[in-house]
Amino acid sequence: MAEKEHVHGGYRLYWVTWFWLLILTILMIGFEVLHMPRFFLVLALVVFMLTKAAFIAGNFMHLRFERLNLIVTVIVGLLITGAVLFALISPDGLRVLHLSGAS
Amino acid sequence: MAETHVAESVWSGGVSPFGVSWRKLMMWIFIITDGLLFAGLLAGYGFLRLASPTWPDRSEVFYIPFIAFMTFVLITSSATMGTAVGAARQGDRRWIVRGLALTILGGLTFLGCQAYEWTHLIQEGARLYTNPWGVPHFTACFFVLTGFHGSHVFSGVIILTVTLIRTLLGKATPEGVEVAGLYWHFVDLVWVFIFTLFYLL
Repeated sequence: MAEKEHVHGGYRLYWVTWFWLLILTILMIGFEVLHMPRFFLVLALVVFMLTKAAFIAGNFMHLRFERLNLIVTVIVGLLITGAVLFALISPDGLRVLHLSGAS
Repeated sequence: MAETHVAESVWSGGVSPFGVSWRKLMMWIFIITDGLLFAGLLAGYGFLRLASPTWPDRSEVFYIPFIAFMTFVLITSSATMGTAVGAARQGDRRWIVRGLALTILGGLTFLGCQAYEWTHLIQEGARLYTNPWGVPHFTACFFVLTGFHGSHVFSGVIILTVTLIRTLLGKATPEGVEVAGLYWHFVDLVWVFIFTLFYLL
């Protein structure tokens, strides 16, 4: 329903989104080439990555024009569950590294 | 009646709490579950990466501008897909066909680049569990992550080709194009994470 209320203004939304995705991708590669401190590089890349994901989901997939129920379902179902999964599994790698005595 | 009223007060949506058709809802549910598959794969990659004392320098293994070009192709194909979806809503058949055809071309270009990348690495001695860079898990992560993603791109190209044929035959509905588009954008979305977490970080 919110979809019907959404005025597309032709195809502008898609190409404006494309432009920003392109800029963000160039920035990410630029940051990589600059060899900045690791912490700031990781932080910047993760922020850019999530911004790009929000652009794609919100504008390309029209999620921001959908009903709140669907938005919350997708965000909780995918983003938060994915983040929890990542947070629960990946850090164990450091423990394995520590136990192997290689750290 | 009373039951409907309760549902509306809780969901603000009555019998259709998400306010979308069943086809679109099913695609969203598929996207969530398929996204969790990739979340699991990336979490596994994160585990292996953190457990490994060393990790090859990606800029020495891959030609990053080439990977950036693949990203550019996929982003552009998402924009052309969006154009096709917009055209479908406006009933502009000519732009649906153009948008879909360009998106398919983008998908095929991406797959061609990936085939080239795989061939190049295999020729350098990369296998699923062995490689010249001294970290066996590195190529396991590479082949599994990019392989799963590539198979999704391949599926997307098939879905879009079917949608294009149906459009040419006058059988495609605007919703059908939109649902196909949702899948294609999801493929693009997954690549954003793989590109950042595997190639850049």
